[in-house]
Amino acid sequence: MIRSIEKQRNILDFTLSSLWRRWGKNLALVVVYTLVVFSLGSVMFFTQALKNEAAIILRGTPEIIVQKLVAGRHELIPVAYAQKISAIRGVEAVKDRLWGYYFDPVGQANYTLMVPEAIDLNDNEIVVGAGISRVRRVFRGNAMVLRTFDGRPVNLFVKGILSPESELLSSDLMLISATGFRRLFGVSQNDATDLTVKVLNKKEIPTIAAKIVDTLPDTRAITRDEILRTYDAVFDWRGGIMIAILAGAVLAFLIFAWDKAAGLSAEEKREIGILKAIGWETTDVLQMKFWEGMVVSLSSFFLGVILAYFHIFYASATLFEPVLKGWSTLYPDFRLTPFISGYQIAILFFFTVIPYTVATIIPAWRAATIDPDVVMRF
Amino acid sequence: MIELQNIRKVFNEGRPNEYIALHDLSLFIAAHQVTALTGPSGSGKTTLLSLLGCMARPTAGRIVLQGREITSLPERFLTDIRRKTFGFIFQQFNLLNGISVIENVMLPAYPLGEPFSTLKQKALGLLELFNLAHKAAAKVEWLSGGEAQRTAIARALVNHPEVIIADEPTAHLDTRLSREFMDIMRDFKAQGKTILIASHDPLVHESQVVDRVVRMRDGRIIDSGAI
Repeated sequence: MIRSIEKQRNILDFTLSSLWRRWGKNLALVVVYTLVVFSLGSVMFFTQALKNEAAIILRGTPEIIVQKLVAGRHELIPVAYAQKISAIRGVEAVKDRLWGYYFDPVGQANYTLMVPEAIDLNDNEIVVGAGISRVRRVFRGNAMVLRTFDGRPVNLFVKGILSPESELLSSDLMLISATGFRRLFGVSQNDATDLTVKVLNKKEIPTIAAKIVDTLPDTRAITRDEILRTYDAVFDWRGGIMIAILAGAVLAFLIFAWDKAAGLSAEEKREIGILKAIGWETTDVLQMKFWEGMVVSLSSFFLGVILAYFHIFYASATLFEPVLKGWSTLYPDFRLTPFISGYQIAILFFFTVIPYTVATIIPAWRAATIDPDVVMRF
Repeated sequence: MIELQNIRKVFNEGRPNEYIALHDLSLFIAAHQVTALTGPSGSGKTTLLSLLGCMARPTAGRIVLQGREITSLPERFLTDIRRKTFGFIFQQFNLLNGISVIENVMLPAYPLGEPFSTLKQKALGLLELFNLAHKAAAKVEWLSGGEAQRTAIARALVNHPEVIIADEPTAHLDTRLSREFMDIMRDFKAQGKTILIASHDPLVHESQVVDRVVRMRDGRIIDSGAI
């Protein structure tokens, strides 16, 4: 047992000095390998972190949202519908919500406007997200001019800026009073954007959603689970696109690894011949090649994972922002909550280290089976 | 010690480029003697050495080492015999560039699983024996011809082999170094080692150290020498 450990230590020791001898070639391999792990790791961490972030935020959203549909499109909903929904058994509370989008030609960006429940604002006051504040250079106490639905300018005063911690979701957000909102968009007192429904027994959410649609056939009831599923699907889809693009890079890397391993130089073949001639077995040479692969792939893997972690959780995923986040002008400046699961690491390991090992083991085995007497003929 | 019985070695058998390197050859190598194999290029000296040193198998015939038939042994056992019984000195020395002198000397012992510190002491002892201790950390490509040769000899000895096999050891050495090599062989002989040298250098096969000269030509033994 001890002899076997000593043997592995000796072989590993030789492998390390062997790798050091061809440091240029091996460094190039480690750099390419690390880049592949870094790219794949970044996409995986980012997608998963966004999904987690969304799940945490959506925990506070209403159990059911009711929207009115006309010709399959979302329409303003009569506030009177709230009473009909309240009458359904199991419904705890119904509230109307006002929200919408405003295209600002000055900032060349779309803002999301919402009427908050908890914040008290007067008719001319707004609270804006950090993204809007940056783009329009408005700060607490400044005025912002928006145009109403019929073209009249309105002066709105910034009462505050939303905290940067929520920037992923609130970058383009503008909070406004109900009166201000109705004046801006010409929404009458009888209408709202949608209704939120609180349910007493969470298990009854699907039943109540069905009853709402039964009672009000021109509406649709969206449950919180459905929203979560949609977010998951959207982030998976975006992540999937990136993975598909990166699949090309992985393939190129595998070809590179195969070529590197298969195209053993005459010098390397000679060395394997010498090792076999002086008493190394085929399995000893294979073990040396195994350690070589492990040193290259594990160091690249860990380096790639660490870089991806810093890229995603400390550098705001700078390289993938446009594809994975989907904002156009108001890029949120945010930090995701660090989150890594063993499952993700295992998947990443499976997609990078295993293919590399497979791509290099056959050429290594071929080299290791060189007859020892070949060395006598160099 | 080593007996070859009706050995035949064919390369690329059954192919258009088939080549018979050894024809039905029988030979007995006695222990504790220096045996030189001589003959022109292509006479089969190197092939015979590789068969004697368990590096290759014969196409036909049997090899008996210390009373044990080894021809049919699987590779693992053959390798085990090779590293414990034989120490090899090659024509080009075949040292590994880029690593130190001491690492080169330790290489044959790595798979045996000896503790690294013991192994290092053993290798240092050998380097001291050959006045190379001061070069232990140097890379082999910085060595002179004589130093490289002595490093190769030290490497051949690291596993304490009973038999030393040298293939054209003086081919790249000047007269002084060739004589030095034969002096070292004399010491080995005195220690009771069996030595096999393939060489067409008269300085080797005419040396007083050599007990027996086996002459070869075209894959056959033309003179098996006196014992």
